[in-house]
Amino acid sequence: MIALTESNKKEYKNVWVVAEQLSGVIQQVTMELIGAARPLADDRGSEVWVFAAGPDMKGQAEDLFSYGADKVIVVEDKSLLNFNDELEANILGRLIEKYKPEVVICGATTRGRALIPRVAVTKVCGLTADCTELTIDPENGDLLQTRPAFGGNIMATIRSSNHRPQMATVRPRVMKVPEPDTSRTGEIINELIEPSDTVGVKKILEVFHSEENTVNLADAQIIISGGRGMKGPKGFDLLKKLAAKVEGAVGASRAAVDAGWIAYNHQVGQTGQTVQTKVYMACGISGQIQHLVGMQSSDLIIAIDKEPDTPLMQMADIAVVGDLFEILPKLLEEIPKL
Amino acid sequence: MKIVVCIKQVPATTDAKIDPETKRIIREGVKAELNPFDTYAVEEAVKLRNRFGGEVITLSMGPPSAVNSLRETVSVGADKAFLLSDRALGGSDTWATSYALAKAIDKIDDVDLVICGKQAVDGDTAQVGPGIAAHLNWMQATYVNAVDQVTSDDVIVERMHEDGYDICELKLPAVITVVKGINIPRVPTLKGRLASEKEVIPTWSAADIGADPEKIGLMASPTRVVKTNPTPPRQSSTIKISGSAEKCAKDLFRELRLRSIL
Amino acid sequence: MEHHIQNKIYHVEILPPKQAITIEKLHDGLKRFADKYNRVMEDGRCACITDNAMGLLAFQGAEVIEELKLKVNPEQVMIHLNTFHTKENLDEILDSCINLGIKYLLVISGDGSDRLPKLQPSDINAKGVEAVTSVELTDYILREYPGKFVIGVAFNPYEPEEHEFEKLDRKIAAGATFIITQPIIEQNEVVDKLLEDYSSMPVIVEAWMSKKLSLLSDAVGYEIPEDTVFDPIETLGKLHQMYPKCGVYLSLLGFKYQINKIGGLWK
Repeated sequence: MIALTESNKKEYKNVWVVAEQLSGVIQQVTMELIGAARPLADDRGSEVWVFAAGPDMKGQAEDLFSYGADKVIVVEDKSLLNFNDELEANILGRLIEKYKPEVVICGATTRGRALIPRVAVTKVCGLTADCTELTIDPENGDLLQTRPAFGGNIMATIRSSNHRPQMATVRPRVMKVPEPDTSRTGEIINELIEPSDTVGVKKILEVFHSEENTVNLADAQIIISGGRGMKGPKGFDLLKKLAAKVEGAVGASRAAVDAGWIAYNHQVGQTGQTVQTKVYMACGISGQIQHLVGMQSSDLIIAIDKEPDTPLMQMADIAVVGDLFEILPKLLEEIPKL
Repeated sequence: MKIVVCIKQVPATTDAKIDPETKRIIREGVKAELNPFDTYAVEEAVKLRNRFGGEVITLSMGPPSAVNSLRETVSVGADKAFLLSDRALGGSDTWATSYALAKAIDKIDDVDLVICGKQAVDGDTAQVGPGIAAHLNWMQATYVNAVDQVTSDDVIVERMHEDGYDICELKLPAVITVVKGINIPRVPTLKGRLASEKEVIPTWSAADIGADPEKIGLMASPTRVVKTNPTPPRQSSTIKISGSAEKCAKDLFRELRLRSIL
Repeated sequence: MEHHIQNKIYHVEILPPKQAITIEKLHDGLKRFADKYNRVMEDGRCACITDNAMGLLAFQGAEVIEELKLKVNPEQVMIHLNTFHTKENLDEILDSCINLGIKYLLVISGDGSDRLPKLQPSDINAKGVEAVTSVELTDYILREYPGKFVIGVAFNPYEPEEHEFEKLDRKIAAGATFIITQPIIEQNEVVDKLLEDYSSMPVIVEAWMSKKLSLLSDAVGYEIPEDTVFDPIETLGKLHQMYPKCGVYLSLLGFKYQINKIGGLWK
């Protein structure tokens, strides 16, 4: 493998954040990653650069400086509005070659997870997905990438000692958005799409924005989740009410989705969505492994069940034994008392 | 059309038991099974072949036991299967794995479409699919929810995003990764299973696929796991709330207030 | 189904071999299935074959019977059928049953898993429902295959009563003509009510024949203390006394020893 020598490695400098944009708007995860990149760059005595590809990026670049970026590479073009894997991978790959960043981090979103693995292979880089922690090894300056493994039972620390840049993806809401400092300034580097970037690029024929299609559990701070114990779609109406009251999202176990009580895009679990939310309230979910691996990294786990000893009740930080159909309405009553 | 489906055999866990001290899942279950997301990939390939003619070839890189999962794909309609298994491949990270699979796809030759499942439920990286596309320098589409059309030159697919979906046209050959919901995978029949027994599933070594020894296995992998730590246990004692519904609601509300959640 | 009860014919549950096993274990499993099935036939009882019990992928009763060329006496075979199938697969199963002469079906909603597909309302022309349950499946089978099947449904006395009876009414309205309950280990008020209110329906109570209490606790929905002394044979005898008008479904019957001890219990 084309491993780099120590002197080769020294050519690579700076921590890059690949900006996530949807419909031309830079998303919060970008700021979170700038916040994560800052201490890494400080440790390395280098800078935080943001790679922003999309229409109208310049206007948003100023904001990025206030969150901690030193430079923003702007590739501004209408053709970049809708995510196109090959196009962005070609551009990013070329610019990595040109500027030689030491680290590249990106949001673990549908776009990020399609883009970065492609670039990592082409540039012969190590890539670690879904990192929960990023630090610099004080001994040799390597990026230490920590991620959960075995469904969250183990934290694995990974490094790419001999390849540069070192790449990692991080899920939205894992890192904190830093306090903006509007006095901070930086430099915009303008780059253009080159003809070679457009070779081997697919065509995007049509784009549909849909609120209904995608339930973004990943962004929810509070998830009220229901399982077999909800006994039917009406049970989920109760959960929807509660979720609305606390500005949370509704999740579900596979059993509830299979029974047709709620749509698949609410499913939490191994073949549904994995969530790392602040509050996960499981109502009438016993907790099969496939469900637990999908939510066990949540900060606070609450379980409400008739049975005191289900796996979820054992894992929960707060276990409420009782009839959820009586408890939840009463909980709803408590809330407006704020 | 020649379609290759890359599959993975993953650990299958059955009963959930919680370690009372760490609140972590106790991982028993040494059974192995076909990665659930891969069943959608196999089914899509079989459906496309039934519609457009051609061949479905399944491919897996893994230990010798992975042949059982390959045989399962034959029992639901794959025409051929190949196991890529070699000590030299052991310890491969996603870079090296996607490299080896790309070499195997090269060896199969004349492939039009590679279909992978969204991710493997053990690794969860979702990196191998796009990695294969990059090694082969083919177009890719991930989170594919529907294959709308196939011609001799291209494939039109729907792919999902957080905020909606889009329709893309990829020139063949191409790689797509598919999500649950793209189809309903058929379950093996007894006849299919017994017939698949007769299927000869060749094992390919790293040399058979012409893999560069410097690009496979643990030593060649750009990423290396340097240590693992047990995840810190959740807070040691569970707060138990019980009693009348009213008391439960009040107690729970208080706990949430204490934590500034409400 | 009345004649099973009148003639004191046990319904004996047999699980087909699971899918996720090696080919050697599969052949072994098929042989053991055949042995159990043939034993039930010889004893003049009714074999009841499960459908992916507990969401674990297994082979289907009809295809196993067909592959092993087992003899089917229509009065001695019942298969379970749940809603976790594709429509194609469902129709294949029903067609096989007709070809084999299997007419008794126990239609249940069933347990799903990551690997099992689920029937959609549009698949079976079920209107006005979000999901397919045993009600819609029963309706579909009797509509599409009139006169071919006799359908029974499940009744769970451990679920909220009102809801369970309301479901039962819908199942009967869809065309079910007999009922099988969850495991019963002692006199059960809800079952008593069932017998009283549905006196024209043949009712078969399930007898738990295993000593594994944890699984039984799951089924009945309340914790049975581990140290409870539980004698399945003794309980079976008591069950006959408590429910003389009911048939009995034997789940988890031991085919080595237990099966030799049940003769003469049902007087």
